[in-house]
Amino acid sequence: MAIIERSTPQVALPLVEVPVTASSTFGVLKRPVAATGWKSWLFTVDHKKIGIMYGAAAMFFFVLGGIEALLIRLQLAAPNGKVLNADVYNQMFTMHATTMVFLFVMPMAAAFANYFIPLQIGARDVAFPRLNAFGLWALISGGIFLNLAWFLGGAADGGWFMYAPNSGPVFSPTHGIDFWALGLQITGIASLAGAINLIVTLLNMRAPGMSLMRLPIFSWMALVVQFLLLFAVPVITVALFLLTFQRNFGATFFDVSAGADPLLWQHLFWIFGHPEVYILVLPSFGIVSEVLPVFSRKPLFGYPFVVFSGAAIGFVGWGVWAHHMFASGLGPVSVAVFSMTTMLIAVPTGVKIVNWTLTLWGGKLWFTTAMKFSIALIVLFTIGGLSGVTHAVAPADTQQTDTYYIVAHLHYVLFGGAVLGLFSGFYYWWPKVFGKMLSERIGTWNFWLMVIGMNLTFGPMHILGLQGQPRRMYIWTEARAGEGFFNLGFWNLVSSIGAFVIASGVLLFLINVVRTARSGIPAPLDPWDSRSLEWMTTNPPKEHNFDVIPTVHHLDEFFHRKYKEGDNGEMVKIKTAEEILTEQEQAADKHIHMPSPSYWPLVLALGLPITAYGVIYSIPIAVFGGFVILFAAFGLGLEPATAKDTDFDPPTDTDATSGEVVPVD
Amino acid sequence: MFTSGSKYFFGISLLAGISIAVSILFANPSALAATALVGLLGAAGLLAGIMLFVRDGDVPSGEPSVSVHPAPTTSMWPLITAVGVTLALIGTITQPIIFLLGVVVLVAAFVEWTVLAWSEGASSDPAFNAAVRKRLLNPIEFPILAAVGLGLFIFSFSRVMLAVDSQIGVALFIVIGALLLVGGVLLAVRSTLKQGVVSAVCVLAAVAIVTAGISSARSGMRTELIVAQYESDHEVPRECGAEASAHGDSGATQTISAKSGVAATVEFSDGKLVAHVQGVQGVQSAITISRSSPSNIIFRNREAGNVRLVARLGTRKITEGVTEEVVRCTQMIERGAEQLLTLVIPKSSAANGPYWLSVVGEGGQAVELQVIELIVP
Amino acid sequence: MIASVLRRFRRWLPASAIVIALSGCATNAPQDTWKPKGPNAAKIDNLQKPIFAVAGIIGVIVFAAVIYCVIKFRDRGQPIPHQSHGNPALEITLTIIPALILTVVGVFTVRTVFDLAKTNDTEMIINVTGQQWWWEYDYPVQAQFGITQPIVTSGQLVFPAGTKVLLRATSRDVIHSFWIPALNGKRDVVPGRVQTNRIEADLPGIYAGQCTEFCGLSHANMRMEAVALSKEDFAKWVANQQSAYVAPADGTLAKEGESVFLSQCVRCHQVNGLTRADGSPAIAAADENVWSGVAPNLTHLMSRNTFAGAMFDLAKPACRDEVWESDPATFGGKYLQGVTEDCLNQSALRAWLRNAPAVKPMYTNPAQLTKTGGKTRGMPFLGLSESDIEKLVAYLLTRS
Repeated sequence: MAIIERSTPQVALPLVEVPVTASSTFGVLKRPVAATGWKSWLFTVDHKKIGIMYGAAAMFFFVLGGIEALLIRLQLAAPNGKVLNADVYNQMFTMHATTMVFLFVMPMAAAFANYFIPLQIGARDVAFPRLNAFGLWALISGGIFLNLAWFLGGAADGGWFMYAPNSGPVFSPTHGIDFWALGLQITGIASLAGAINLIVTLLNMRAPGMSLMRLPIFSWMALVVQFLLLFAVPVITVALFLLTFQRNFGATFFDVSAGADPLLWQHLFWIFGHPEVYILVLPSFGIVSEVLPVFSRKPLFGYPFVVFSGAAIGFVGWGVWAHHMFASGLGPVSVAVFSMTTMLIAVPTGVKIVNWTLTLWGGKLWFTTAMKFSIALIVLFTIGGLSGVTHAVAPADTQQTDTYYIVAHLHYVLFGGAVLGLFSGFYYWWPKVFGKMLSERIGTWNFWLMVIGMNLTFGPMHILGLQGQPRRMYIWTEARAGEGFFNLGFWNLVSSIGAFVIASGVLLFLINVVRTARSGIPAPLDPWDSRSLEWMTTNPPKEHNFDVIPTVHHLDEFFHRKYKEGDNGEMVKIKTAEEILTEQEQAADKHIHMPSPSYWPLVLALGLPITAYGVIYSIPIAVFGGFVILFAAFGLGLEPATAKDTDFDPPTDTDATSGEVVPVD
Repeated sequence: MFTSGSKYFFGISLLAGISIAVSILFANPSALAATALVGLLGAAGLLAGIMLFVRDGDVPSGEPSVSVHPAPTTSMWPLITAVGVTLALIGTITQPIIFLLGVVVLVAAFVEWTVLAWSEGASSDPAFNAAVRKRLLNPIEFPILAAVGLGLFIFSFSRVMLAVDSQIGVALFIVIGALLLVGGVLLAVRSTLKQGVVSAVCVLAAVAIVTAGISSARSGMRTELIVAQYESDHEVPRECGAEASAHGDSGATQTISAKSGVAATVEFSDGKLVAHVQGVQGVQSAITISRSSPSNIIFRNREAGNVRLVARLGTRKITEGVTEEVVRCTQMIERGAEQLLTLVIPKSSAANGPYWLSVVGEGGQAVELQVIELIVP
Repeated sequence: MIASVLRRFRRWLPASAIVIALSGCATNAPQDTWKPKGPNAAKIDNLQKPIFAVAGIIGVIVFAAVIYCVIKFRDRGQPIPHQSHGNPALEITLTIIPALILTVVGVFTVRTVFDLAKTNDTEMIINVTGQQWWWEYDYPVQAQFGITQPIVTSGQLVFPAGTKVLLRATSRDVIHSFWIPALNGKRDVVPGRVQTNRIEADLPGIYAGQCTEFCGLSHANMRMEAVALSKEDFAKWVANQQSAYVAPADGTLAKEGESVFLSQCVRCHQVNGLTRADGSPAIAAADENVWSGVAPNLTHLMSRNTFAGAMFDLAKPACRDEVWESDPATFGGKYLQGVTEDCLNQSALRAWLRNAPAVKPMYTNPAQLTKTGGKTRGMPFLGLSESDIEKLVAYLLTRS
């Protein structure tokens, strides 16, 4: 639905949106206007629908990556595992990492960013809604393309880091790595499109009065992440192009006998790869920084410090990539420098942990599931951060790198950091998105299973690594496992059991989702007594988000509309959320123009995997894919952002005096 | 449903499709004909799609005949068409490139003129007509103009960079970058700057770059690049024969692989050939390198006169009973220059050797009897 | 010295005790990174243990603070707290403290980095070459150790204890990583580069390691063992490695095995001094059959008690354990005995000869070799008959 008309501005009840149908159903290329049904999802440009679809796709890939992880842990539960053979195991750990990084955490962060940034900044949509839709479909087609390799001769088997020359055609003769490189290229396009879109949205579409220092912290962290993406993705794009040309067109970028150096790949990969770590974890930092103040009933401690430490991490994150290469033989000077910068980046990270703890300090803590996940994040991420410091120390790292100690570290950072933050976000924002409360009882079980499972899985890996078990081995042997009951075999088994405990926790979450969808209790308007703008509208929000664009006077604007400081400094409730919503509805804008749905983002995104497939198998197919892309690009460019009035039934009437218009692409 | 414009192009693509089918079934089409027909099919299909999508540029097809036509606007296309014709004619008797230019101008003028004329008949409202024209042509004009403009800019800039000395090039890059930054800062700080001033500065800068580009293109590239053009494989160890050119990979230590971890550095100085081996103290007269692994050796000449490093790597069987010597060489280099030699030696020197490195001067005679032994275990 | 102060701190602190106790749970893991057996690894260990302790302390403080908050500030119906936005002074203090701690850590780190990179007092040089999926060690001529001609071996890196050994490491194909945790940290071996890493063992013994850079299909099976011998024992080992070829006596099974070896194995595997029937030396041409160009040199196979990239034991478990578990004083003698007929792990060796790719994943299937021009990566299935295997085993047993 594109245009919301209000003949009577004094509506008291939430507006019921009238479904609009196309006046002409046989128009071959007439743009879609469905407001309900599957078409309304497929062709939508609404940031909320896109956000939900990002989340659903990411959840699917989370389950996929989780199954891969379970297979890996099954294989390693006992010595000389027989579950997977060497080839399949190598594919499995490559795709587990690739899936979790590129197809779960990044899209899930994109889901939150897409859904909540416009709501948090008081906007009606993102700056470029169709670009947004394109990003979603490019991500999904890229994800499918990546996994297609499983059915076409085997997936990528070079590890997610894909070091040259092991990624060359001689050393990996299947097409797995071709699919990997081109699939990531497609998801990279999606990330870039999303990054540009969200940066423009955040910088240009904030509600009146919302200065950058009043920007909710999640939006702030998302902004940092989008800038990181904007600069990091081009680097991996270059690297992936080199790889594709090396594999498919006979180039020799990493061919030593032609005078090249394989370390070139490592530098390119990690210049992307390290900022990528912050791309993965900063959105969760943002979520936690939203959740902790809400359930502590006090503002985020040192908001400016959290903001600037996030930005500092974003900057310093570019200067530490070679700490992934301490064993590569960079020479002592480089090693010393990168060791120091790596320690430097621990400082702003530490600032965040300090601030979260001090946010709890002196608060009035309400232990909802969201809050539990956030507190667990503080503790578990701290463990990951501290083990990170131990391998910032380069000599120690030469003992630890490529062992399970690193696996433990990275999972404490990415599972204990990124994933727990995302789950905290699920429980916190579920009522906002779906209008129903997730069960807190199941949530508590979900929380404890995941946290205990994660410590069972990744905790013993510290020991495994320090005892010298390298990673990426499809089997381990008794001969190197030590003696006694608590030998490496024991810890491997514990770790495998832990993986299934995590899996049961995730399963409970999925059950919770299904149960809630079927018979969950409708959410109150403001279930958590929240603080930021996204709660100042209905659950779920109306298509146009806000009836009237709010004017912002405070950080935590919504809280300050509900509460006032009393004479003795105590906080007094002056308004309920319902009252604030009613006020808004009464002052609703008369004309709200929303961008109309479109086919073209979908068509454009479908052209990408066709081209990529053609690059691997047959150039004419790639040319055809190119035509699809060109055609869709023209379609997208020629199509006006808002459908014509005659597309609607009954035809709408836009007069020149209409009020609020969202900027559209 | 199908607009008249799209019907036309659908017709063409249908025809092209039928032609392809017929020619494949009954004739044996040449590659050229097939390419042309498939191209026609694709192009007509694309145009048909665009027509369909834009519904012939929004011109209401069923509107009753327009009684009042506004006077035609001024148009530059007749003039440009004339220029195109002239260029094409001049081109036929002088340079083919001028003919091509004329054709391009003619095509552009033809398209623009046609659409302009057509749009002016669309309705009685000139503003609407102008919008119709824009809607149809801007998506074609903008990318083409942008591509041409950017291409010209990049081409000019690259000519300048190829012509000037590499040191000056670096300086130039820094200066231009700094100017851009300063300009950007000025724009950001003084947002009240007049648009005219900004455009004037931009136009001046563009003209300056294009002018510089044209003059640089006339003066040609710097010498070492011209030399390098004739060298397709200057990084590859060559058979030691007559020198293909005076140029070689002179920046050996600047390539990433040679910055650290070369197997050895061989130096010709004080009339002696000595080797510095990675990780080993002092100078060596023998180098041990691993079989079959690519090993980088840097050769430096510290003596007057041109020399090259020659690696003699035993013999290779060509056919039964016929063998040839395996020799690898660096380029002939002057004093102070250096070269990278990448050797992959598959056979042990114990069985196939001995292998050694020596220095050879102009004319192929050995300048120094002392050699460095290459031990391949 | 602050490091020693920190080390003293460690003793008091339960946090670090827990960490150490947990990691001590696995006893005698051969690749334990916290049990240095030489000065290089000890330098790393002296640096990292205090850092683990400091990290442990900081962790405990954070956990304590969080737990305190969770208990103390839970919602007991208290009023909504004052909406304080923070305390910059506290904030800055809590930023500076970790920065100071890290600066101290950084100083010691940098010092150790440069310390470990030192190579100017090297006493011995060994070249290490990684290849899918085994390691080759070659010893350049070094008269002071009695090495008068290059020695090539694989599987076990034999070196004198108490000697500063410089490894010059490179690779023939992909990136591998050389790692003997008890002796030093890892060093990647990168094709086209020669990387250096120093090892030194305090006492004779055998130290386990593993390739730690993912190198393809059989990465998990690319192991290594470093064997430190006393100086006298090392001299004996060198002498044995340089001894002339002794052909098996005519009429023995081993002699027949020699001709099987000449017809089947010498295509890739070198045995120094072996001659063909016409008296010409038998030279391996592994580069024509194997993509990476080399196969292990088998001249003194029985002098090492492991094969196939240290994946399999050449000695029976009992014999192996006797070598691995012997004390430093008797270790050399036991190791230098090599693998005798009684100790030979016949089943593993025969399984390998029967069908190598079946017991170690490798690229030998012709369908996977189109990109290598038919060259295999690893030892292919040779189709040897049982009698040929019998003969070959007999022959290899004489390669001591």
